[in-house]
Amino acid sequence: MIQVEQLSKVYGTTPAIADVTFRVEPGEILGFLGPNGAGKTTTMRILAGYLPASSGTAKVAGYEVHEQSMAVRQRIGYLPESPPLYLDMTVAGFLQFVARIKGVPAGDSPDRVRTAMQRCGLSDKHQTLIRKLSKGYRQRVGIAQAIVHDPPVIILDEPTVGLDPRQIIEVRNLIKGLAGDHTVILSTHILPEVSMTCNRVAIINQGRIVATNTPDELMSRLTGGAGYELEVDGDITQAQQLLHRVAGVRSVEWLANGSRLKVVIEPSHPHVGQELARAIVQAGLGLQEMRRVQADLETVFLQLTTEDPTPSTAELATDAPTPDQPFEE
Amino acid sequence: MRLILNNLVAIYRKELHSYFASPFAYVLAGIFWLLAGVFFAAILLGPAGLLEQARNADLAASQGVRVAPFDVGYSFLQFFLGTLGSLALFMLPLLSMGLYTEERKRGTLELLATSPVTNWVVAVAKLLGVLTVFVTMVLPLLVYEAIVLNRASPPINPTVMIAGHGGLILLAAAVLSLGMFISSLTNSTILAAIGTFALVLFLWMIDVLGKNVGGALGEALSHLSLLKHYTNWVQGVVDTGSLVLFASYIGLGIFLTAQSIEALRFQRS
Repeated sequence: MIQVEQLSKVYGTTPAIADVTFRVEPGEILGFLGPNGAGKTTTMRILAGYLPASSGTAKVAGYEVHEQSMAVRQRIGYLPESPPLYLDMTVAGFLQFVARIKGVPAGDSPDRVRTAMQRCGLSDKHQTLIRKLSKGYRQRVGIAQAIVHDPPVIILDEPTVGLDPRQIIEVRNLIKGLAGDHTVILSTHILPEVSMTCNRVAIINQGRIVATNTPDELMSRLTGGAGYELEVDGDITQAQQLLHRVAGVRSVEWLANGSRLKVVIEPSHPHVGQELARAIVQAGLGLQEMRRVQADLETVFLQLTTEDPTPSTAELATDAPTPDQPFEE
Repeated sequence: MRLILNNLVAIYRKELHSYFASPFAYVLAGIFWLLAGVFFAAILLGPAGLLEQARNADLAASQGVRVAPFDVGYSFLQFFLGTLGSLALFMLPLLSMGLYTEERKRGTLELLATSPVTNWVVAVAKLLGVLTVFVTMVLPLLVYEAIVLNRASPPINPTVMIAGHGGLILLAAAVLSLGMFISSLTNSTILAAIGTFALVLFLWMIDVLGKNVGGALGEALSHLSLLKHYTNWVQGVVDTGSLVLFASYIGLGIFLTAQSIEALRFQRS
C-alpha cells in the first residue's frame, strides 16, 4: 500500500532523511519510532504530499506522491503534529468541511461525519466550538478529520501526544480498530505505544531507518531475551566469574554502582535463576537483591539509536572504580 | 470540474463563516458605517455641502443669473463613492490580513495542502469570500444613497450608478487580492495589514508620482494608479483599459498567492 524507496530530503545542506526505504502492506499498522528530530515528521509530510522529496520515490496506493499528488491526496487521511483545526467552527461543521474538500459526495457526508465522530468519541461534542475543547478532544477532532473521508491510507504524526493516560488508551484502541480496512502509519517517540498498537515497527534515527520488524522479533533478536540483575556483597570480580560459569549465561556485566551485576541469559535457558543464586551463596558471598529484567523495546531502541555500540558501558564509565567490560572468555 | 466547484464552495463558505463568527468583522463594519454616515452628512449638510450649493444655484437662477444646472444626484454619488473608496483603502487591508496568516499560524494550511484542492481554488475561494464580506458591508450604505437619489432631480442615470458601484467592487477585489498575496507571505497578521496598506497607498498615489516623472514612464506609472481608474468608473466612464487593469491586479494577486503557497512547501518549516 505504501512503498518508499531510497527517499531523501535535504533542507539546504542539512539532510533530514537519507535513503529511507520501507513498505507497508494493506491493512497493516506501521509504527515509526525515533527520537525527536530523527526525520519522522519529514517522512510523513512527504508521504502526505506536503513536502517534495529531494530524491527517491514514495508511492501511496500505487500513486507517486509528488507527481500524482491529487490522486494521493484523495486517498490519504493525515494528522500533522499539531492538529489542523479551525477554532471558530463546531466539531460537526469542521468535519463537514473536511469531508467536502476531501471529495466526499454531499449526500454521503452527514453519514461519514457521524461515523467519524462516533469512532473518536465526539458525538456529545458535535455542536461545541473547537475553541472550547480541551487538548485531548482537539486531538480527537484531529484524528476524526483524518478518517472522515474513509481513506485507504491514514498517516498519523504523534497521535497520542498531549493526551492523558485514559485518552491515550482510547486513541490506541481507535487506531487498532482502523487496521484491516485501513493502512495506518503512525509516528511516536513513546516506545510502549509501538508494541501495543503496531504490527510492525520501523526505527529511524538521524534520518536513517535502522531496523524494520515486528516489535516482538525486534526485541528477541536484538536483546537475546531476558536476564537478571543482582546486588552482591563481597568480591564482585569473583562473583562475576562464578556467574559466568553457570550454564545458560551469555554475559555478565558490571553495573555502575560497584556491587551490581547484570546477567544476560540465553533464550534457551529461561530459568537459571536458581543456579545463579546457588553459585553466589555457595561461594560464601552475600546476595542482597536479585530480580528478573525483562528485555524491552527501550533497550532495543537505545542499542539502535545510540552511536556508541555498547551503550551500557559508555553510560557508566565515569565513576571509579573503573568497571570491566562485559566479562567474556 | 464538479469537484473543483465543490471545493470552491466549501472553502468559500468556510471563509464566510470565519468572518461572520468573529466579532472583528462586526466591529470593522460598525466603524465603517459610522464613518460613512459622518461623511454622508458632511457631503450633504456641511457648510460647503451639496444642499448649500444647490440652494445657492437656485437662488442665482431665481435672480435671473444664468448658471450651469446643478445636478445634486450626480455630484453626491461622485463625492460619496470617492469617500467610500478612500475609506475602503483603510479597511480592506484589515479584511485581507488574516486570509492566510491565520492558516499559517494554526497549521491548517497543512490540511489544505494535503487535501485534493489546488492552491488556485483555495485562493479564488478566499478572495470571493472576503469580497462578499466587503459587499455585505457596503450594502446597507445603499440606504444613504437611496435617501438622496430617489428625490434627485434630474434623476440619476442608472449607468453611472452601476458603473460607480461596479468600480468600487473591482477596486476592493484588486486590493483584497494583493492583500491576500501579502498575507500569504507571513505569519504575522499585523505585518500583513501594514504591508498591504503600504502597497495599496503606493498604488493609490502612483498617479502623483507619474505626473512628476513625466514622459512615457510617467504615463505608464499613472496608468497603474488605482485612484485614477476608480475615479473613471465613478464618473460613469467605463473603458476597457480600466477593466483590464483591475482584472490584472486581481489575477496577479491570485497568481502570486498560489505561487507563494506552493513555495512554502520548499521551505524549512
